[in-house]
Amino acid sequence: MAAMMPSSSTANNSNPYSFDHSNSQNDLIDPDDATLDDLDDPLAQASSSDRAPLTGNISSQPGRRDTQNYLTSQIGGEDRRAAASTIDESVWETLSRDLRAVWEKMRQVLWPKYLLGGMLVRERGGGIAGAERGEGGGATGAGAGLERLRGAVGTWPDAETVLQGAMSEGLRDWDLWGPLLFSLLLSTLLSWRAKDEQTPLVFSGVFAIVWIGEAVVTLQIKLLGGNVSFLQSICIIGYTLFPLVIAALLSAFHLHWIARIPVYIVLVLWSLAAGVSILGGSGVVRNRVGIAVYPLFVFYVGLGCLCYIS
Amino acid sequence: MANRGYDVVVDVDTEGDLGHTDLQEDLEFHPSNFSEAQPGNKAIPPDTSSFLPGGSNRGQSSGSSKRFLWSLNFYAQFFDVDTAEVLRRCHSAIYPRANFLDILDGNPDLYGPFWIATTVVVILFITGTMSAYLAHHGKGHYAYDFALLSGGAGLIYGYTGIVPIGLWAVLKWFGSESANLLECWALYGYSNLIWIPVALISWSPITILNYVFVAVGFAVSALFLFRNLYPILSATDVRTSKILLVVVILLHAGLAIAIKVLFFA
Repeated sequence: MAAMMPSSSTANNSNPYSFDHSNSQNDLIDPDDATLDDLDDPLAQASSSDRAPLTGNISSQPGRRDTQNYLTSQIGGEDRRAAASTIDESVWETLSRDLRAVWEKMRQVLWPKYLLGGMLVRERGGGIAGAERGEGGGATGAGAGLERLRGAVGTWPDAETVLQGAMSEGLRDWDLWGPLLFSLLLSTLLSWRAKDEQTPLVFSGVFAIVWIGEAVVTLQIKLLGGNVSFLQSICIIGYTLFPLVIAALLSAFHLHWIARIPVYIVLVLWSLAAGVSILGGSGVVRNRVGIAVYPLFVFYVGLGCLCYIS
Repeated sequence: MANRGYDVVVDVDTEGDLGHTDLQEDLEFHPSNFSEAQPGNKAIPPDTSSFLPGGSNRGQSSGSSKRFLWSLNFYAQFFDVDTAEVLRRCHSAIYPRANFLDILDGNPDLYGPFWIATTVVVILFITGTMSAYLAHHGKGHYAYDFALLSGGAGLIYGYTGIVPIGLWAVLKWFGSESANLLECWALYGYSNLIWIPVALISWSPITILNYVFVAVGFAVSALFLFRNLYPILSATDVRTSKILLVVVILLHAGLAIAIKVLFFA
């Protein structure tokens, strides 16, 4: 930027990069013109040699931002995701930025690629190869899907794979917007279908169950020797409530009780598979993974049943 | 529980240097203080062992071995189990062969009691709702009763949490040395396990069947409690232990009746 300023002030040409030397010599009368020769050099090189380190610097920007986003805000005192000043933007932009952040984090928690601590990504080589072999044998798309499912079941996570999983980079920057949003949605949807006189009770009860449950589950993992960050774990468990919110929504719209059974089982398993990723890299001893997962299981199954009977 | 210190006393007796000043050095928690200056440990006052297990490390300032009452590490010692151990304890709580306190082996955990109680609450709520739904069937829209969940949580958590404290306090009052609050909690917590299968099968609206199931659950868990509490209770004099046993069984019967009335009416 500093190189741009003398060119625009001295030369009024349409092209700021074509530096007209004779024209600028006449215009420069302020004492700063002694430094113009110094300024002249980067400007002259900007078109030829200085461009390469400049682009190198820009391309290394995201890497730097990732490391800086970890528990620190990018601009001190500013919104985490705002690149510039947020004082004159509309409220909708501020809200949508937060909503987009929630969406992005939810995608990183719940997208199948990240389930079970990213196990499916690491196992992709075997799984996809198996699927392609199935298709090569003349099977239909359903057959390939079945093959892939069988591959996923065949690589059912033992303790090792769960422990090796690492959470994705975006999740290191936890927030509590998602947990708050989903716990409120879940409480509202569940209390909607409750008895009339029990609506406030159900709302407060579900809200308390969600938050106390998240805290207790996290504490249990810590007590079993897991080295997880408390609020980060609460953030992840909060985001994994999204399938249960879908279940509550389906209940609010009177899904038939027979149709609920398979759908809700799938949704609860989805939540559980996403929630297990807390354990990734937490350092829980291998033979304790079972009892570390069981609280999560009880938590999701309990909430799922609450959705089911609503 | 490596630092109870009893082993050290036995060692000293066999080596015959009772009263030697090295005794305090043996009581120290050796592997944890390599980051601190070694000579400074000799200056630890001899009365660092408090009534709390793990409290003897209090004088040391090496970060990893501190187990204060308000730190998480202090409570982690109550969850010092692994999956196979929990399953083994659950198995021996359902099919009691040996004394359960022998199976606990001086390491009572709180994981089992807490999560068994939670599971029982959830399953009782589900099956209780199912039973109420079946009783209600055909009379329009059914809305579940959320009070069943809070009531069940209060009942199970309250019974499992408070009754062992009362039992432990009474035993202490009558001078029983072997009473251990954690073991009481573990005993009551694991005795709740039988309610899971009982609750799973007694959702049917057939009243007589429910009475039978709840009675079976009561019998199994009361027998479990009786078998394992009897050695502890008999440390007091005969009359007191009889009264205590009757009170324990009566309280347990109260729990069974409450479960029957609340959930499978």
